[in-house]
Amino acid sequence: MAHAAQVGLQDATSPIMEELITFHDHALMIIFLICFLVLYALFLTLTTKLTSTNISDAQEMETIWTILPAIILVLIALPSLRILYMTDEINDPSFTIKSIGHQWYWTYEYTDYGGLIFNSYMLPPLFLEPGDLRLLDVDNRVVLPVEAPVRMMITSQDVLHSWAVPTLGLKTDAIPGRLNQTTFTATRPGVYYGQCSEICGANHSFMPIVLELIPLKIFEMGPVFAL
Amino acid sequence: MAAAPEPVEPEERKSLKLLGFLDVENTPCARHSILYGSLGSVVAGFGHFLFTSRIRRSCDVGVGGFILVTLGCWFHCRYNYAKQRIQERIAREEIKKKILYEGTHLDPERKHNGSSSN
Repeated sequence: MAHAAQVGLQDATSPIMEELITFHDHALMIIFLICFLVLYALFLTLTTKLTSTNISDAQEMETIWTILPAIILVLIALPSLRILYMTDEINDPSFTIKSIGHQWYWTYEYTDYGGLIFNSYMLPPLFLEPGDLRLLDVDNRVVLPVEAPVRMMITSQDVLHSWAVPTLGLKTDAIPGRLNQTTFTATRPGVYYGQCSEICGANHSFMPIVLELIPLKIFEMGPVFAL
Repeated sequence: MAAAPEPVEPEERKSLKLLGFLDVENTPCARHSILYGSLGSVVAGFGHFLFTSRIRRSCDVGVGGFILVTLGCWFHCRYNYAKQRIQERIAREEIKKKILYEGTHLDPERKHNGSSSN
């Protein structure tokens, strides 16, 4: 989860998120250099003693400041498109879970190996145990195996919602009447948090998502396979 | 009986953010690129000034040198970092495979020894 006043991205828990962080670093360095150049140009403009206001011909300068931004955009676009297509790869998921958004909770269905269906409500502050996270912890977490490709089918029963888990690099809209699909492979066990990311009413901020990622051996002993 | 020492949390690396957003401490290759860029800027700007004695133009050359050297170091370092990550991932997978398949017919070492003895 994010710590207080965190601005940057959370640590990656999936290969896609690692790629996104790499791309983010790359874009940020380019942005930093452009900002540096612009600040320098501003400084020169403010400190120059030149006062001529004649419009002059500057074909070479105009060519440079047209071609250079185009090159910069290509340098940003190529890695971006690479990751975009990578996120659309379907790599034979071993497990499918349905996630249905409601006002204001999530329903999860594990129907591959049985009929496990449950709701996931945010824990109200009065019901928090010491160590629980306010506005993030839920009564029933989504338990999933580590290092197994998982497919999430996301939809909504009423209004628009969005199922997001930042550390996995996931954000998929839950649209009524439509099934959206996202796949991911978690690389390390732990408990990971997300929040609804599409305005959906009064309690939009109070319908979090909690994933509990556990080793496959322990997952196979769990309630999904015991049904 | 002495009490067991409490585990100490690892210290978080302090983050230095250039222009308020570029975290040079926690971004791989950023500190290295900025430092070499600064050195390149000083060398280019000062060298230009020594040859031409033009202050303003030397500052422009310095800024241009900073941008070019930083970009060059950045791409070079990130390329090597990406190669290193791929090698680390391959090594991790091979170690996992070895642990899983040791002693079985799928053991990579057995296959390798078998092919070398043939």
